[in-house]
Amino acid sequence: MIELNHVSKMYGNVVGVNDLTLRLPMGAYGLIGPNGSGKTTLINLLIGHFRPTIGSLRVLDTSPSSDRQLLRRIGLCPASDVLYPNVSALEWVQYQIRLHGIPRRDCRRLAETALEIVDMTDAMRRPMGTYSLGMRQRTKIAQAIAHQPDLLILDEPYNGLDPVGRNDMTRMLRDWTQSGRGLIFASHVLQEIESVTPSFLLIHGGRLLASGTAAEIESILADTPQEVRLVGKDVAKLIHRLADVDWVESLQLNHVKHELKVSLREPIEFYRQISTWIRDDNLVIEQLRTPDGNLEAVFESLLRRHRGDVT
Amino acid sequence: MNRLTMPWDVVRFELRRSFTPARMAMWLVLVAFPIAIIATMRTIANAHLADKLDPADFVEPFGVTLYFLVPEVTCLLGLLLWATPAISTEIEGQTWVYLALRRSGRRMVLFGKYLTAVIWTLSAALVAISASVFLIGTDVMLRMWLVMSALAVLSCLAHAAIFLLIGVVFYRRTMVAAVLYTMVVEYGLSFVPALVNKFTVNYRLRGLLATWMGWEDVRSNAENIFGSEPVSTHLLVLAAITITLLGAALYRVENAEYPTQQEG
Repeated sequence: MIELNHVSKMYGNVVGVNDLTLRLPMGAYGLIGPNGSGKTTLINLLIGHFRPTIGSLRVLDTSPSSDRQLLRRIGLCPASDVLYPNVSALEWVQYQIRLHGIPRRDCRRLAETALEIVDMTDAMRRPMGTYSLGMRQRTKIAQAIAHQPDLLILDEPYNGLDPVGRNDMTRMLRDWTQSGRGLIFASHVLQEIESVTPSFLLIHGGRLLASGTAAEIESILADTPQEVRLVGKDVAKLIHRLADVDWVESLQLNHVKHELKVSLREPIEFYRQISTWIRDDNLVIEQLRTPDGNLEAVFESLLRRHRGDVT
Repeated sequence: MNRLTMPWDVVRFELRRSFTPARMAMWLVLVAFPIAIIATMRTIANAHLADKLDPADFVEPFGVTLYFLVPEVTCLLGLLLWATPAISTEIEGQTWVYLALRRSGRRMVLFGKYLTAVIWTLSAALVAISASVFLIGTDVMLRMWLVMSALAVLSCLAHAAIFLLIGVVFYRRTMVAAVLYTMVVEYGLSFVPALVNKFTVNYRLRGLLATWMGWEDVRSNAENIFGSEPVSTHLLVLAAITITLLGAALYRVENAEYPTQQEG
């Protein structure tokens, strides 16, 4: 479906994406990364809007920047909002499909079908200026799927959707995936992607840090240096244990001696030992905070690993 | 046939989204200000000359004024507002990516926007010309209307191509660049008695005005301003300017990497 070969994109001196090499067979993939990580640049490369500064890429077996026919097979829902205040969703979606060169007589039917899929039939003749953010988001999805593409690329598709809308969107994306068509789904919220596909691409600082299923990424993380926090009245009593092992990089006890920050070189060893020590020494530890709840920290850990700062 | 009708679908969409109170008000201003000036001039002429008034004496001064007000000012202002921001408004509104993603999006949208700018501006220009010629009320009304209308058509086609190219190239400081061009080239260089003025649209339009209205005296008194080339030369240069610049704009937009949004 997608093949990137040492692709870099520079904006002057700023690196958008950096030496991405990737091969993805047809399927659904979550593209996860914090804001500014290069997700949108990668998407712009995939749709041929940007040309790589270095390297080459192919999407659906063709080069997106030179073969405009490819765009007929791609549907994109960008993160940016769309607002033509006095134009209805039906008019806008029809117009968007028409620009693919689809005959005028088919555009209306395709637009109506797409708007029905995203549950916008009742409001599709109203001016978009009267829509809520969620309705505009649904309309954006409709324009992405209306021409029945083979590959759907979504950039933050859950923006502005209420819980019901999120549920509907998840169901629609699962159906899309099950139909055998391609899906790239960019988000900075792990749970959103996880509800649609188990396959992830982790991108940060324009680099692809890791790819695979959630379990595979967890196993990578287990071997990746990371920082954990232990909270409880007995955390100071763990110091003598941790100071003796070579897989701990640093220890930091806060001033009330209630929280211990441990920087780990080999997290897997830590997780293997910690429960035994707590049990044997009969310690009261209330919390163990891992980087899982802090995506930025996970990315930082992976980035250090990617750079070769650690092995 | 399918692709041939696509620019008209873009025009239809652009016109549909443009019927806003602000745009309509701007259209009315473009129509009203030349009419108001001509009406004022006519009133002053009536008051000062009273029964000695011979409308035939006013063909040249009123004709030159009308030419300056409509094919030059009205058309330039209208196109500044319509053709120049064709791409920058989409970029600022973060809607460019939706258009760029379409197989025929870039060129068709730009060409459609070009036609829309011409139609919108020309409609204002033709209404203003019709009312103004009626107010002037000479015995060559029909000829003046035909000449001014033809000049407005040529002005819109050529200036729209120029402003479109400026908008496509300078998408960040679009209006500044277009206003600078207008002031320096069309209202500066076009009056310079040198080779350079022959490459400006307004010089060509003035040449056509003098020829088509049969103002040989005006031409001989100010040959640097009205030129002495035949009609065919003026039309050929205007066609070359329009086609070349429009082609350049279409080529540029097809290959441009405009920003789509805050990079994420």
